[in-house]
Amino acid sequence: MDSATIQYFNLFMNYGWPLLLLLTAYFIGTYIEKRHFRRIREREDEYRSMPVVTFDTMPDDWRASASTMVSGSIVVSLDYFKRVIAGLRSIVGGRIKTYEPLLDRARREATLRMIEDARRQGYDAIFNVRLETSRLANSRGDGNGTAGVEMLAFGTAVKLGSRFSRPADTT
Amino acid sequence: MRHVPRQPREGINVSATHPLVEAGTLVAGLTAIFIAIVLLLIFLIEVVLYFVPAEKEAALFRDWLPVDLVTVSPADERLYQAQLLVDRLAVYWEESPYEFRVEIDDSAVANAMALPGGLIVVTQGLLDAVESENELAFVIGHELGHFRNRDHLRALGRGIVLSMFFAVTTGSDVSGLGIKVSDLALRGFSRRQEHAADEFGLAIVHRHYGHLDEAWRLFERWHESEGNASDIVAYTSTHPQPDDRIRQLESLAQREGWSMVGEVTPLRW
Amino acid sequence: MEASTAYAIPISNTESIPGKQIVEFYGVVTGNTVRAKHIGRDIMAGLKNIVGGELVGYTELLQDSRQEATERMIEQARSMGANAVVNVRFATSSISQGAAELFAYGTAVKVA
Repeated sequence: MDSATIQYFNLFMNYGWPLLLLLTAYFIGTYIEKRHFRRIREREDEYRSMPVVTFDTMPDDWRASASTMVSGSIVVSLDYFKRVIAGLRSIVGGRIKTYEPLLDRARREATLRMIEDARRQGYDAIFNVRLETSRLANSRGDGNGTAGVEMLAFGTAVKLGSRFSRPADTT
Repeated sequence: MRHVPRQPREGINVSATHPLVEAGTLVAGLTAIFIAIVLLLIFLIEVVLYFVPAEKEAALFRDWLPVDLVTVSPADERLYQAQLLVDRLAVYWEESPYEFRVEIDDSAVANAMALPGGLIVVTQGLLDAVESENELAFVIGHELGHFRNRDHLRALGRGIVLSMFFAVTTGSDVSGLGIKVSDLALRGFSRRQEHAADEFGLAIVHRHYGHLDEAWRLFERWHESEGNASDIVAYTSTHPQPDDRIRQLESLAQREGWSMVGEVTPLRW
Repeated sequence: MEASTAYAIPISNTESIPGKQIVEFYGVVTGNTVRAKHIGRDIMAGLKNIVGGELVGYTELLQDSRQEATERMIEQARSMGANAVVNVRFATSSISQGAAELFAYGTAVKVA
């Protein structure tokens, strides 16, 4: 390889490749995100009739015949593009707008999984819902990479008594 | 208490700003700030250089050798002859505070370096590539030019300061990018330094031999064998392209009216 | 530094708004923000880590974030037609180095 080719190669490795990685991460990530949001909205519409609340005591008129704990979780990873933007942000401060869609859909996905878990087992409503976030430690140890963020939604699911089994009725 | 299924409006927890727009403004804003700080640091280095004059540097680094230098045997004839040549040429820089030392690096790649304290390192590869003493004298003169402009300290200082600055202020992902961007900006500056060193070296060769025959023959050989890389590649390397250097030297020789022909001195080993 | 806690609609971390009855309930509403500190706060925090004490910069940062997250939650509630949010809970977590996520969630209800 003559020196010109070597220099072209170095140029690409130093500047072209990281840029390519960034743009690929951005475009593919955006496409996946839009698709996921669409799926989330569809499923939320499907389960909207199910009461899901954060009350920590059950409303009296629910008259539960059975109950259990249900949960749903998801682990998402922060892609390269987002991490670079967050790194730049942490110099000037402010809202990291690129993380918001990711965390939003992760939380809604976790909630949906909890609801699906309850539905699958035949329950009709969930109360005392709690949402937790935790960061998974990176095994690499350079301190800056993140293996992922876990979103957890859990609550108590109940089977409602006969009067309220189909709560979408208007009164 | 009655359950009424309703949904919140979409997009409350998400900002309306397009991610590329956010990325673009962050990058542009931060690049401007980085460049300003880098220029400030360069200015500070100049100030430091002013307060550490060459004499002090020569005294401090008098016997210093870099740790990773692999040298040839001290009994090597070329080392002896190279040192004599350096001593002969250094005479033409009258105010030089340095006692120049020569070391020969074991590497097969042709290279020559100016290091703190008046240390000139040439590689085996370079000694194999030169075909006359005139060529070697020009290379040494070029390095003497670097000493005179104190380029070697500038490059060292900049490298250290910039790495520290980026490591402190950003996370690892971003600091790598920051270093690359500023590196690119500084290479333009290096090439100006190289041309200045070339001119100094040419002047010394002329004073010593009385003519410039074969002085930059080394560049001509490199130019013939490798051709010229494109402009982008040229921009990103620290040395100017061989043909660019040849043109500068030819125009200097013409301006000064220096003779281009004379008897070429062969290598003495 | 006092946080301004005037919200557009009443919120509470109990079962109901004191003195009012819940007539309808709609569902869980959430509000979240992810914020990064800037380099100045980082340096101050580094120094404080040596002497100990309140990290005022970070306190302010998280207070502002909490305010914003709560306001987003309220906006979601209002867009559903609710006029109160009950059983509100907060959660703070760190997403990556230098970025903290703060979210607030509760149940959107109509009280009378």
